[in-house]
Amino acid sequence: MGQFLSRRALQSVFSLFGLIVLVFFLVRLTGDPAVLFLPINASEEEVRDFTVKHGYDKPIYVQFLKFLEKAVRLDFGTSIRRNVPAVEAVFEAYPFSLRLAAVTMLLSIVIALVVGSLAAYKPNSLFDRLASVLSLMGASTPGFWIAIMGILVFAVQLRWLPTSGVGGVPYWIMPIATLALRPTGVMVQVLRGNMVATMSTAFITTARAKGLPERSVVFVHALRNSLISLVTVAGDQAVGLVNGAVVIETVFGWPGIGKLMIDAILQRDFALVETAVMVTALAIFALNIVIDLIYAYLDPRIRLA
Amino acid sequence: MRSAMDSTRLRLPASLRGVLAIGLALAVGGAILGVPAGSVLAQNRSITIVLIEEPNLLDPCMSSQSAVGRVVKQNIAETLTFIDPKDGSVTPRLATSWEKVDESTWRFKLRRGVKYQDGTPFNAQAAVDSINRIMSPILDCGIRSQFFAGVKLTPRALDELTLQIKADRPVPILPTTIGTLTVYKPKTDAKTFDRNPIGTGPYRLVRWTVGQEIILERNENYWGTKPPVQRARYIWRSESAVRTAMVKTGEADISPTITVQDANDPTLDFSYPNAETTRLKLDVSQPPLNDRRVRIALNLAIDREAIRGSILSKDVIPATQLIFPSINGHNPDLKVWPYDPERAKRLLAEARRDGVPVDSTFYLVGRTEIHPGVTEVMQAIQAMFTAVGLKTELTMLEVSQWLKYNRKPFATPRRATVLHNMHDNDKGDAQFTTFANYHSKGSNSYLTDTELDGLIEKAVATSGPERRRLFQTAFKRINEDFVYEIPLFHMVGYTRVAKHLKYQPSISSNSEIRIEDISFR
Repeated sequence: MGQFLSRRALQSVFSLFGLIVLVFFLVRLTGDPAVLFLPINASEEEVRDFTVKHGYDKPIYVQFLKFLEKAVRLDFGTSIRRNVPAVEAVFEAYPFSLRLAAVTMLLSIVIALVVGSLAAYKPNSLFDRLASVLSLMGASTPGFWIAIMGILVFAVQLRWLPTSGVGGVPYWIMPIATLALRPTGVMVQVLRGNMVATMSTAFITTARAKGLPERSVVFVHALRNSLISLVTVAGDQAVGLVNGAVVIETVFGWPGIGKLMIDAILQRDFALVETAVMVTALAIFALNIVIDLIYAYLDPRIRLA
Repeated sequence: MRSAMDSTRLRLPASLRGVLAIGLALAVGGAILGVPAGSVLAQNRSITIVLIEEPNLLDPCMSSQSAVGRVVKQNIAETLTFIDPKDGSVTPRLATSWEKVDESTWRFKLRRGVKYQDGTPFNAQAAVDSINRIMSPILDCGIRSQFFAGVKLTPRALDELTLQIKADRPVPILPTTIGTLTVYKPKTDAKTFDRNPIGTGPYRLVRWTVGQEIILERNENYWGTKPPVQRARYIWRSESAVRTAMVKTGEADISPTITVQDANDPTLDFSYPNAETTRLKLDVSQPPLNDRRVRIALNLAIDREAIRGSILSKDVIPATQLIFPSINGHNPDLKVWPYDPERAKRLLAEARRDGVPVDSTFYLVGRTEIHPGVTEVMQAIQAMFTAVGLKTELTMLEVSQWLKYNRKPFATPRRATVLHNMHDNDKGDAQFTTFANYHSKGSNSYLTDTELDGLIEKAVATSGPERRRLFQTAFKRINEDFVYEIPLFHMVGYTRVAKHLKYQPSISSNSEIRIEDISFR
């Protein structure tokens, strides 16, 4: 286990370095921060002064070396727009995205487990068909539309929930419900399909031949065998959420990392973009390690060494 | 059967049961734990304003940025003079009177008994410190680069309440220009932007919870009339539909900017001129745009009435020039170009006969999201140009790419460019428009008309009726004599205000929302 973790950590360091290099150069291809920071009628001289003052006039490799030199001291620069250390801005926003992602994923997994396995319990039953249709809808309906419709129905018409913002439980319901639709839909489809396929394998026939009740066959043997596929899909969906749910954060005014990153890109706030990408990348590496550990736990044939 | 069920339950893998249990517990409980307390809905004498975006900073020297200005300007930090949005006139604020000493020097008498929100007294030295901080090149203050670019101001405290400002050039309307300059607490760090501003204004900053809200509370020691609103909370949502919904449900009381599509409740929504004017800027250095007949034809080809009330609101006003009628220097004699495609075709044919390359392709450039419906407006204009026989290539660009065509140094190679842009001037005087846009040294100017340069320079250095006349002559030269551009519309904004409030947005509402102007019904 220790060997596995250290090997993965080492791999992650290389990937992270590659990513940082890529982001550093790509973000600079999007244009000069001076162009957007200064007012529209700024003179050429002002643009030049700004560029020189902030070191954007230096050759890009010099800028990169300076960035690396600071990065090894864990100094990722100051947000040019907010005048706060970029790390501070990112760590202010990230917990909001992580909490949203965690609650959404847990809810999605629970629903997918229940609905997916029940649908597989009696394939082609009314429940199964209904679950298939609804999960397909959930997986394919655009989140933006659902979010706006949700606000109009549940906040404006029915007045059951607040439109948006951060607060107690009522504020979480619509963002989570909207955000959970896609992962839940996808996971229900995958789990149900996988379980139905598993039901026709030899070990299920053996289990039935042993005289095990059908419920036990389905919800214990077939389900556990299909959990690997669920974890794979759940991991993939969770990575998407850990990156920040831009649309949901934008519509519901959720101060997470997705919105922060988009704003930073639009404003050419290089330090903020680089730090946000780095922190989310670290979270994704960690998540991948966790997924590998879950694989090994679920399937004893998988060895992590 | 019962035992079979029991055995099923017992045989559920521990891992699975764990996931189920933790999942359910966290799904419900996680939402509660670690979450800031719920927002308080508007209480008595409290209002909530839902803005389109969160400010990046709250430094008063950045209040030229609308996101900052809407919160800070005149609420937390005040200006020495105040530009009345109704007619552009200059009225007292922290300065009670002013006089011109010479062409480049003004003297301001300051208000007695004014204190900063932390109790520090306001005096001439405080104003000097404030001006020096804004003018310092150490900070990239927006006010300096937007309103005082290239000007050196030397402020001096003559006595406790007399401030003298000397400029390195004639500044005939310094009392107007100084109306853009916010005054805040002395000894504010001049090397870094401020996130906790202290000013003399009627409201003080209570807290800024980044990402969530900004709370201002009435400054009980304010020198002026006590405004009715006691507490103002600012929140922000990018989506107009959400902002309008929030006012409808009572979660917010005012949404200063909403789209025309969302302004669908006549009891809550109304339009106001927002100081923005759209136009098509012509690169007159490039053929065939260097031919006046072609430029007139382009103006005649556009059916402004077809765009008004369809793509854009029916409340937009077809423009004759780049400034609103309430701005000093507006020329009321200019007429809106009629829609006359036949005459446009005749002019183009005439130009073609004289060898002007009117059949070459025009490069029509727009900026995405500069205002709602801009892409449709540009497509309509392209169709109108095509209808009179012109060839155009339409490109919609993101702001930083678009700026390459709008700001010097212009993108090369230069082409026959017809650039859509939008300009705002809510500062009462044409000076804030003319130099940058029309002077040959102006950063956004395609023109090299030395006679026009002279007119602008003379107007900027003059005051009174002569100043107005000179600017009016300049606009006549731009829009009638030489037809350097295609004015489109004076735009309108829409705002939603809860029924229990009285608030009338104005031409300056895009850059400042004065809470003192908001009252309860």
